[in-house]
Amino acid sequence: MFKPRTLDALRIADDDLRAVLEGRRRLLFDGGMGTMLQAAGLAAGARPELITLSDPEAITRIHAAYVEAGAEVITTNTFGANRLKLGDAATVDEVFTAAVAAARAAGARYVAGDIGPTGALMRPLGTLSFDEAYELFAEEARAAARAGADLIIIETMTDLAEIRAAVIAAQESCDLPIFATMTFEPDGRTFLGTSPEIAARTLEALGVEALGINCSLGPAQIRPFAERMLAVTDVPVIVQANAGLPRSEEGRTVYDIAPEAYAEAVSGMLADGVAIVGGCCGTTPDYIRLLARAMEARGRALEPRRCPRPFVAASAQQAAVLDGRSIAVVGERINPTGKKRLQQALREGDLAHVIGLGIQQQEQGADILDVNVGLPGIDERTTMLRVVEELQASTVLPLQIDSSDAEAVEAAARRYAGIPIINSVNGTQESMDAVLPIAARYGCDIVALTLDEHGIPETAEERVAIAERIVRAAAGYGIGPHRILVDCLVMTASTNQRQALGILRAVSACRERLGVHCALGVSNISFGLPARGLLNATFLAAALGAGLDAPIINPASERIMDVVRSFRVLNAEDEGSAAFIDRYAGAPDPYTATGAHVAGAPAEGARQTDAERGTIEHLILTGRKGDMPAATRAALEQLEPMEVISRHFIPALDEAGELFDAGKLFLPQLMAAAEAARAGFDVIRERMPASAEARGRGICLATVKGDIHDIGKNIVRMLLENYGFTVHDLGRDVAPEAVLAAVREHGVQLVGLSALMTTTVPAMAETIELLHREAPSVRVIVGGAVLTPDYARQIGADFYAKDAAAAARICQEELGE
Amino acid sequence: MSERSADPGALQADARAGGTGALPLGTPRPWSPPAAALHVPRTEMLRYLGHTGQKIEDGLAARIDAAAADAERVSAPRGVRAAFAVDATGADAAGNPCIRLTGTTVELTGRDIYRHLKDAEAAVVLAVTLGMESERRLRLLGTLQPLDAALFDAACSALVEEAAEALDRAAKQEAARCGLTGNWRFSCGYGDLPLEAQGSLLDALDARRALGITLTPSNLMIPAKSVTAVFGLFRADALGNAPVPAADAVRSCRGCARADGCAFRARGTRCYR
Repeated sequence: MFKPRTLDALRIADDDLRAVLEGRRRLLFDGGMGTMLQAAGLAAGARPELITLSDPEAITRIHAAYVEAGAEVITTNTFGANRLKLGDAATVDEVFTAAVAAARAAGARYVAGDIGPTGALMRPLGTLSFDEAYELFAEEARAAARAGADLIIIETMTDLAEIRAAVIAAQESCDLPIFATMTFEPDGRTFLGTSPEIAARTLEALGVEALGINCSLGPAQIRPFAERMLAVTDVPVIVQANAGLPRSEEGRTVYDIAPEAYAEAVSGMLADGVAIVGGCCGTTPDYIRLLARAMEARGRALEPRRCPRPFVAASAQQAAVLDGRSIAVVGERINPTGKKRLQQALREGDLAHVIGLGIQQQEQGADILDVNVGLPGIDERTTMLRVVEELQASTVLPLQIDSSDAEAVEAAARRYAGIPIINSVNGTQESMDAVLPIAARYGCDIVALTLDEHGIPETAEERVAIAERIVRAAAGYGIGPHRILVDCLVMTASTNQRQALGILRAVSACRERLGVHCALGVSNISFGLPARGLLNATFLAAALGAGLDAPIINPASERIMDVVRSFRVLNAEDEGSAAFIDRYAGAPDPYTATGAHVAGAPAEGARQTDAERGTIEHLILTGRKGDMPAATRAALEQLEPMEVISRHFIPALDEAGELFDAGKLFLPQLMAAAEAARAGFDVIRERMPASAEARGRGICLATVKGDIHDIGKNIVRMLLENYGFTVHDLGRDVAPEAVLAAVREHGVQLVGLSALMTTTVPAMAETIELLHREAPSVRVIVGGAVLTPDYARQIGADFYAKDAAAAARICQEELGE
Repeated sequence: MSERSADPGALQADARAGGTGALPLGTPRPWSPPAAALHVPRTEMLRYLGHTGQKIEDGLAARIDAAAADAERVSAPRGVRAAFAVDATGADAAGNPCIRLTGTTVELTGRDIYRHLKDAEAAVVLAVTLGMESERRLRLLGTLQPLDAALFDAACSALVEEAAEALDRAAKQEAARCGLTGNWRFSCGYGDLPLEAQGSLLDALDARRALGITLTPSNLMIPAKSVTAVFGLFRADALGNAPVPAADAVRSCRGCARADGCAFRARGTRCYR
C-alpha cells in the first residue's frame, strides 16, 4: 500500500531538525573535507574515504574544528564511498561505520551521511544503468543509516538521472531526511545541461527534504542560481559554495575568496531565503566560523515560503510550464495506432524510426512528446523503457508516458530523468488505484480522462464531475490540481455534433473551478468528415479560447501549428509577437498567394528537369540524394521495382564500393552514395507490397562490450540496408550474451562486430567464442581500427572486413542470392 | 637537477636560461580558450575522414562546412592543467621502471612513457573536453544520419585536438618563461602506455569535477571528444646542449604498436599532425 512521504514517516533527530525540514529554522553545515586532507598531504587521486579507516583521529580532528567553529551538521568523509570507487580497498559498510563514528567523536550535533556521484556516467550517454546506480546508492544509504547518521546528503551531482537514482535509492533504503544538491557551471547549467529550476522542481517532485546547490562556484556566482531555485520551490534550499578557484601560493593550494568576502556573499543568500548553508571545496573552519556569526546575526527562525504552482513537465534539459498564460503542444505521433511503419519498427526493435519521430516533432515545434508503444503481443515495459531512454539521448522535450500498462508506466516513471506526465488515469476506482500512487511516488503529472465505469458522459457537467472526483482522489495522494491535465475527451462531430460545444464548456469549467490544466486530443473531432485539417484547426482555435492549454496534436501539420503560433500572440505568450512576426512577416497567405503554402515543399517541377540531366547511376555516385526520388519515379515508369534495383541501384553501389577501394572516393563520398541510393529505395518501397521485401537476409550488428565507438558500425549498417539486408542493430557496449540472444531471437546466420580499442578486442573474442559454441552455424565478421587480418584470425573471426565496403561485400557473398 | 627555491611548490626560473617566471606545481588550473578562438581545422577534419585529394562535390562540401560549424556551435571547449615533479626512481607491480608524478596517485607504466619522461624535471598533465553537448549531438546524428554523424565526429576530433594543442602551447609558453622546454604530449593508449592510467590522470587534475569528464569501465572517456595528455619539461644542461633530443621534440610513428596495417599510413598520412 502506498504511503505518501511525510515528515511523520521519517526518523528525525530532534525538534530543531524538524523545524528545519518544515522551513522554519536555519541550519549550518560544515565546510570542505577533501581540501583539508590535501592540505595535510593527501595525494590527488587518493581515496580520502580510506583515511577514516587508517587514521580516524585525523578525520575527527577536522570534524572537531568545524564543530568548534559552530557547524551544527558534520558531513561524513564518505563522498566517494561507493562500491564502484572503493573497489577491493574496503567495504561500504566499513567506511560509513568508521566515518559516522569519527563525526560523532567530534561532538557533532547532527551527522550527515555523505553520498557523492558514482564516478560513472549513466545511460543513455554513459554505460551505467539506473538499476546499477540504484544498487550502489542504496548500499551507501543503508550503511549510513545503520551507522547512525541523522540525515543523508546527496551532493555534487551533475546528472539529473543520477541524483534521481540516488534519492529514490535513499528513500527506499532508510527513513532519514534526505538533502540533495547539484553543481552548476557559470552558464547556470550542470555539465549535463540541467538548470537550477529543473533541478529544484524535479527534486521537490521526488519529495526530498532539502535541495540546493554545492561546489564549482563561489557564493556570489551561486547566489542568482539559488534565487532561481527559491522562486520555484517551497522546500528548504541549501547552498554550499566553493571558496572560489584554487591557485598555488608558496607551494600550497589557496582559494581566491577570503573568509570575510565569502561570509558576506552567503549572508546575502540568507537574506534571500536560503535556509541551510555550509562550505564546499576550499572552505575551512575559518569560513564556517564567520557563517555561524552571520547566521546568529540574522536569527535562526525562518518564515516558510509559498511559491506559485504552475504545471511543470520537464526533461533534464527543458521544461514545459503552464502558468495560465502559456500553452504547450503535446506531439502525438509516437503512437502505433493505425501506423503500419511504426508498428513494424516497434516489433523489430528499430528504434531509429521511433527516435526520428521524436526529433521531427521537436523540430516542428512540439513542447512535450507523447510516447505510446502499445501493440498486441509486444513487451510493453521493455519497449517503453528503451524508447524513453533513447528519446532522452536524442531530444530535449519532456515526455508523456502513454500506456494503460501500469507496470510499464511505473518502470518508465521511476527511471525518467525529469518530471514526466503519465497518460492516463480515468475516473474508475481501478485506474485511480493503479496510477495515482505511481504519480505520487515519482512526482509525475497526470492526464485525467473524464470517463468512468459508465463510459464517456454526454454533458459538460458530467465530465466536470468526473474530473472533480479524480482531482479529489489525487489530492489524497498529495497531488495538487496544478499537476493534472484534464482531458475532456473529444467526440467526433459527425456522430456527436451536439457535444462539441459541450466539450469546450467542460474545458472552461475545469480550468475555472478545479484549478487544473487541460489536454485534448483535438483531431478526433473531424473523423468521417472531409477537410479534416480545416475542422481540426477551427476546433483547436475554439478550444484554446475556452482554456485548453495542452493540445495533443500532430505538429507536422502546418495548419495546426499556424493556429498554435497565432494563439500565442492572442494569449500574450509570444511577447511583442516577436516569434509570430519573425515567422510570418513576408510569408504568403495561403488564401491569397498563388504559390505553395508558407512552409510547404518546393514545387516538384523544378527538380524534375534537374533529375533528368543525370542517370540514376550518376546521381548515386555523386551522392545527390535530393534528385533521386524524381529519377527513381521516372525509372519506375519504364521498369519493374526489382529491375530498377538490380539494373541501376546495385551496380551503382558496387561501383561506388570499387571506387572507394581504389581511393577514387573517400569515405564521406561512399556514404553519400549510400544515402542517395537510400532515397531511391524509399520511393521503391512505397510502390512495393511489404511482402515482396527481402526476408531472411538478416544480420546482427553490434559494437562489443566496453566499446562505445559506433560510427563505423553505423556506416556498415547504412551500406547493408541498401543491399536489402534486414539489419538488427544492437547498439554499442553490447554484452556477448546479448548478441547471442539477438541471434536466436532474429534467427540470423551472420553477425558483424566492431571494436575500436585494443582493450575491447578481448570482449570481441569472447563474443565470437560464445557464438561459435552456442550457435555453431553463425559466422562472424569483425572490423574496427585496431584489427588486422591476422588479429581477426587469432580471435576466431570467420571474416575480417577492412572497411564498410568490404563488410558489405562479404555479406553479399555470404547471404546473397 | 637545477636549484629549487625556498618554495617547494614551484619550479623557479633559471636565470642563466633567461627565464623569469615561476611554474607552480600541483595545483590544477582551469583553462578556456579565448572567446571564439577555436575553429575546426579543415585539413585535419578531412584527414580524419580519409581524404587524399579526391574532388569533393559541392553538396558534400556544403555538408562538411555545416558539420564544422555545428561542431563549433555545440562545443564548449574547456581544459585544466597542472605540473608535477617527476619521480622516475620507482618500479611498477611487475618490477619494471615506471614514472610517478609527485603528489598524485599517477603511475605511468611501459617503456615508451618512461623514455619520454625519465629525464624530465617536471611533467605537465592536461585535459580538455568539448563538453556533453557534443556527445549528445553525436548520439542524435548517429541514430539517424550516419554521414552527418561521421562528418560531425571528424569535426569534433579535429576541434578537440585543436583545443589540446592550444592548451599545450599555453603551458609550454609558460614553461619557457622558466627556461623549460617541453617534448611532445603523450596520451594513454599511445605506444605501451595503458588506458588504465586515464583515471589517475583525470584525478590528478580533478578533471571529473572540473570538466565533467567521466570514464566507462573500459577507461574510455565520455564526452568522447576529450583528451588527456602528459609531456615532460626539460632544462638545457650546463653545456648548453638542447634540453630535448630532436627525436623526442615531435611525435612520430616510430614505436607505435599499430604502425603495421595503419589505415592512415596506407593513405600516406598519419593519425596526428
